[in-house]
Formats: sequence, structure tokens, C-alpha cells
Amino acid sequence: MALLEISQIKKTYGTGEVALKGVDVSVEAQEVVALLGLSGSGKSTLLRCVNRLVEPDSGQVVLDGVDITSLGKSSLRNARRTMGMIFQEFNLIDRLTVLENVLAGTLGVTGTLRGIFRAFHGDDIQRALELCERVGIIDHIRKRADQLSGGQRQRVGIARALMQRPKILLVDEPTSSLDPKIGREVMDLLKEITKEAHIPMLVSVHDIFLAKNYSDRIVGLQGGEKIFDQTTASVEADSFDQIYHEAS
Amino acid sequence: MKENVSLAFDRHRSEEMRSGLWKFVGLLLFIAFAFWSIDVLKIPIERVLGMFGRLGTMISERLLPPEMAFAAQPRVVDSIVETIEMSILGAVIGTIITMPLAWFAAWNVTPSRAILFPLSRAIIVVTRGMPTLMWAMVLVAIFGFGPFAGMLALVKASIGFAGKLMAEQIEAIDMKRVEAIRATGANELDVLFYAVIPQVWANWVGIIIYNWDAQLRNSTILGFVGAGGMGLYLREQISIIEYQTAMAIIVVIIVMVVLSETASHFLRHRLY
Amino acid sequence: MIDAAIANPLRDPKDTFRRYTIFGVCAVFVLAVAKDIIIDETDWERMGTLAEMVKTALFFLPEWSFFPQTVLPLLETLLIALWGTILAVGVSVPIAYLAARNITPMPWITYPLGRGLIVLSRSTHEIIFALIYVSALGLGPLPGILALATRSLGFLAKTTAEAIENADPGPIEAIEATGANRLMVFCFGVIPQIFPIFVGNVIFQMDINIRRASILGLVGGGGIGLMFAEVMQNLYYGRAGMIVVGITAMVVVGEFISNRVRERLI
Ligand SMILES: Nc1ncnc2c1ncn2[C@@H]1O[C@H](COP(=O)(O)OP(=O)(O)OP(=O)(O)O)[C@@H](O)[C@H]1O
Ligand SMILES: [Mg+2]
Repeated sequence: MALLEISQIKKTYGTGEVALKGVDVSVEAQEVVALLGLSGSGKSTLLRCVNRLVEPDSGQVVLDGVDITSLGKSSLRNARRTMGMIFQEFNLIDRLTVLENVLAGTLGVTGTLRGIFRAFHGDDIQRALELCERVGIIDHIRKRADQLSGGQRQRVGIARALMQRPKILLVDEPTSSLDPKIGREVMDLLKEITKEAHIPMLVSVHDIFLAKNYSDRIVGLQGGEKIFDQTTASVEADSFDQIYHEAS
Repeated sequence: MKENVSLAFDRHRSEEMRSGLWKFVGLLLFIAFAFWSIDVLKIPIERVLGMFGRLGTMISERLLPPEMAFAAQPRVVDSIVETIEMSILGAVIGTIITMPLAWFAAWNVTPSRAILFPLSRAIIVVTRGMPTLMWAMVLVAIFGFGPFAGMLALVKASIGFAGKLMAEQIEAIDMKRVEAIRATGANELDVLFYAVIPQVWANWVGIIIYNWDAQLRNSTILGFVGAGGMGLYLREQISIIEYQTAMAIIVVIIVMVVLSETASHFLRHRLY
Repeated sequence: MIDAAIANPLRDPKDTFRRYTIFGVCAVFVLAVAKDIIIDETDWERMGTLAEMVKTALFFLPEWSFFPQTVLPLLETLLIALWGTILAVGVSVPIAYLAARNITPMPWITYPLGRGLIVLSRSTHEIIFALIYVSALGLGPLPGILALATRSLGFLAKTTAEAIENADPGPIEAIEATGANRLMVFCFGVIPQIFPIFVGNVIFQMDINIRRASILGLVGGGGIGLMFAEVMQNLYYGRAGMIVVGITAMVVVGEFISNRVRERLI
């Protein structure tokens, strides 16, 4: 069985918007799966259903044998600790320092009192600094997060997600807010790090180039449905045409 | 471990120590300040500890339930009407006086920067700073008990409250229109009527309503010092330790304030 | 000439008629109220002549030599305002937590509870709170501090709840995604975002509370108001004038400082 099994996820928002119409995706250990689709095809919704930032209407998500969809509040928190999430808009806490933002990744396992007073464990600080070094922001750790450039901010986002020692990374259009060149650097970094740490990654993109160059497998989404699911090497040009032309 | 990581770690640790030390010093200073305050204010600590119990008993046994029949007596109803009248008159006269003052006190279009500007600013600042209830006591000493003194107190309160807001509105106007009018050879009064007032009028109406709302709030307690309105009965009932009837007045006050706030909110959003 | 240039040709005459009618009705209403207050309710006979009134008014000219005696009560007033604000800060944050639609723990119970407390606090005059606290706890600065705290926590909780509702949901979600509990999501995702707004509002309340604190003494809540009530009772009008000047100066300076500090914050 795959590390992450998403089956028959359906989601209709309160506004009546049907975002997902029953999607299956699986991610094997150490695999990079790209979710490819146009804007509005449901990529973000699907990723958010995995850690239930968005509550799916029906379907099942199983991560490493744990049925996420059936968990109660506190066990859901435990499960979220094992999934690192990286956001399109970075979602850093602007007024905290880079180091504090990275350390925020440990909040799930830090005691409440320590968390509130930002009294993190020495080991965690050590690890946060190592991650900052790894993603190339060690020189900026004392700056406030809003003083960084977009590329640097996404690196902080990556370090924060890795801080959780995740079993899987959920990555939502990590490069859409960045210049193409910086975006490729960030993707390179993500790919290297996931390889080094043997972490699988489910990453949404809307750019064929990124999907082809950085993934092992591509899942095509259109209008909330999966329209193909193939290894990157075997994807044919007309699969892409399906996404980009028939939609219009 | 990489060298710059261990360097950063040590630096972080020492910084943490330093900021922790400062926080500790800050905490100590705060505690010292608290004790000093308790000393200056002569607050009896033993009473603070039993405070919640006594408040609880007070509220549950002596304040509640309010005896609403008291507020329905004709004399009390009259005083409620008087309160509302006082607030309207004070607010109207107050804003009529405030309008020219706001014009004088707006730096961009004031007719005299040397005299009227500082003078009107001073009037607004002083009327804002002076507590209305004390001013009402002074007026009662001069004009005697009754709503006349209360009304004058509210005039003062209106000038302080609306004056600042209205002048701010004028200072935020688009000066291009002022220049256009000036270019025709108009005098200061023309500028006021054709360039300033048309631009601020809508907001001024909002301020006028808002000010009335504020003055109604003030007017409910003026009777406390004999300056007219329902506050008189509040004082009377408390001085004879009739808390449940006093609570009835308080309930009426709260209802009035909430209603006027809703009405003023509605009017302000309805008018434009 | 200017008239012609500015007059709006599109203005509907019916609209003008309506304006004049509304204006006329309001004017008649205000005049009726004025007659009631100024003529019917005021005892002009007893008030005496204008000359007498001016004479009384002149008694209020400040007796400057009384100033040294007002310093301690003024300081007390400042401390009452400060501690009232500090207590309000402490209580307003949990109330704001209840009254912010996006994070309130039980929308059907805690949200109306939070909103209700805010309305109660904001629509009751500080004098009324002071009366209640004084009758329960006796005279002194303690009931005054509590009255101020109760009075200003509504404003603080309301503005804070609004700031929380307007906060960027991104960072909040990011902290939720790490598996942090509610309290930590609040401390990391919410508080840093609303902090500058909150501090601005606290300073604003501090400055208003100085004004409020100065009258609490009139009902036994401590501070300079107590001294004012005493000198008025003993007809030391010159001293009363001095006290009013002292308070006004303190309030004006307080407002000036508060405006400057808030400008800096933004
Ligand atoms: N919070 C929400 N409330 C209501 N509808 C939503 C919400 N979030 C997304 N939707 C709708 O659900 C559908 C799928 O949106 P989703 O954000 O998952 O798409 P996406 O593939 O991530 O698009 P993008 O590339 O623009 O990020 C869209 O039609 C969108 O309008
Ligand atoms: Mg998206």
C-alpha cells in the first residue's frame, strides 16, 4: 500500500462551488507527485483535504496506515504534525523573525507554555539553524520575515515545513508568487531536500515545465476530476492538450 | 555540525539570555511599580482578595432584579423626556457654534492663521480636555439647578467632541476646488460656501448625528450633579440605598444608549 | 456669478422641496424643545441678574496657590487611569477571542456572550460602574480602577475582535497545519498580526481613561474628583477652578502624547 492514499474525495464549498468530484491519488514512499491543472481545477482544495484544513464531504485519506478522515480533533492535530505544508503565499508570520518562523514548525510538539513564551528547546533551535543553513537563509535568521524577498520567504516556508520532520510534504504552487528563475531555484531546492531526506511530496503546479522536470508522476486535474495519472516519463503531449485546450 | 550553524547557535543563545534578562528586569520593575501604586493609592489588599465574593453578593442580592415599575412613574418619565430634550438642544446649539470654529481651526482654509486659528484650536482643545461633569457642576453653581446648566454643559462637550472631527474633515478636503474658486477672485466666505462646505457636508452630517449620540450618553448622568435629567433619580435612589430602583434607571439608560446608537448608526449609513 | 458656475443644474426641484420640508420640521422641533428647556424648565427669577451670575462665575477664577495640593490627587488620578487600562487589557483579550467570528470556540454560545459583554461595557457610563463598585466595595481608588477597567474593556475587545476578523487567514492556517493547538494558533498566528493595532487602541484608551478617572471621585471612586467634590461643597470656587485647570492640562498633555505615540506606531 502506498504511503498516502487519497480515495474518492469530494468537496462542495458552502458557496455551492463544486471543487472536487471524487478524486483518487496515491503517493508512494519517496515519490514526487505533481498535481497539474488549470486555475480552479481543485488542486489547492485536494491538498487541503489531506490535512483537513478543508473538511472533505466524503472519501478517505490514509497516511501511513492512519485514516486521517476519521480522526477526532486532538488526533488530527497529532496527524498534522507528520505532514509539512508549503503555501503559495508563504504564509509566514510577518512580525516574527525568520528563526521564530522556522521554529513555529515545532509548535505541534512543543508544550503550550514553552510555545507561548517562545522558549523553544535547545535541540529544536539547533535543528532550525541547520535547516536555515540548508535552505540558504542562515544569514537572515534575525530579520523579520516581512523584510525578505519572495524567494527567501519561500525558503523559510520550506524550512518551517521540514522542521516538523514530516512523513510527507504537501506543497501548493510553491513558485506561483515568484519570478520564473527564482521559482526554479526553489523547485530545485525542494527536489534535492526531499531526495536527501527521503520524504515524498505531493506538489501542485499549473506549469507543464515544472511538472515534467520535477516530478516522478503527474496527476492531471480538470474541473474537480482526475483526467490522467501517469509516470512523468510516459506522459504524452496530448494529455497536456487535454488540460490546456479542451478546457477552453 | 557546520561551523556557521554552531556560531549562530551560540549567538542566538546569548541573545536569548540577554533578552530574557531584560524581560526579567522589566517584570521586576512592573511589580515594583504595582506595589508603589498600591501604596500611593492606599489600596487595601485584604479587600481586593474578598472583592469578587462581595461583588457577586451585591449584584445577585441587592441590584437584581431591577424594579422597573419605578421608571414608569410620571415624574421619572418626565425626567427621561427632559434628558432627551437636553441632549438635543445641547447638541444642536453646540454644533451650530462648532461649525465656524471648525472653519477657523482648519489650517488649510482658516481665514486667519495668526489669530483665529490658534484661538479656535485652543477652544477646541480645552473644551475636549475639561471633564463635562465638573463643568456641569460649575454651571450649576452659576445658573442654579436644572436642565439649563446641563444644556450648557452639553454645548461645551459638543464643541470639544465635534470640533476636532469637523476640523479634521476640512483639512482633508481637495484643495484644487478651493484654488479654482479663489481664482475667480472670491473672498474667504465664498470659498467656505462654494468649495469647503460642499465637500465636507456629508461627513459633517454624520458627525452631527454621532455627536448627538455622544451627548445623549452624557446627558443621562448630568442629573447626578443637579444639571437636569434622569441622573437625579439615580443619585436619589442610591443615596437612600434603594439599589433595585436605581438599577431600573440604569437599565433605562442602557436601553436608551443602545437605541440611540442603533438609530445614529442607521441614520449615518442611510443618509449617504 | 459664482452661484451660476457652482449651482448644480441636475438638482431636482422636488428634492429641494423635500430638503426644506425636512429642515423646517427639524427647526420647529428644536424650537419646541428649546422653549421647554430654556423657558418652562428654567427658573429665571431665582437665577438672578446677569451681573450676579458674572460675579459667581468670577469666583471660579483659579486660585493658583492651591496648585501644590492638587499634585498628589492628580497623580492618583493618573495611576487610576493606568491601572484601569492595564486591567482592561488583561480582560479584553479573552473577550475579543470570544467575540471574533472567525475564531470564537462555540459560535452559538460564546459569540453572543462576547458581543453582549462588549455592548454592556460600551453603553454604560463610567459613573454608573463606579456607583455599583463603590456600593459593593466602599469608597476609594479600587472601585474607580475597576469601573474604568469595565468601561474600557468593551472598546478594546471590540476593536481587537475586529482586527482578528480582518487578520490574514494564511499564517493562521500555516500554524494550524503544524498541528498546534488552539491557544498556540492564537499566540502565533493571530497575536503578532493584531499587535500594532491593539497597542494603538490601548494608548488611545489610556488617554481617554485619564479624562474618565478625573470624575470618578465625584461618586467616591478616588482621585482628583474627590477633592473637587469637597471644595465645591465648601464653596471654595477658586480651588475648584484650579482643579479644573489642572485636569484639563493633564488631559490635553495626555492626548498630545498619545497622538504622537500612535502616529509613530503607524
Ligand atoms: N474557500 C472557498 N470557498 C468557496 N469556494 C472555493 C473556496 N476555495 C476554492 N473554491 C472554489 O473551488 C474551486 C477549486 O478551487 P481551488 O482553489 O482548489 O483551485 P486551484 O486548482 O488551486 O486553483 P489555483 O490554481 O487558482 O490556485 C474553484 O472553483 C474555487 O472557486
Ligand atoms: Mg490553488
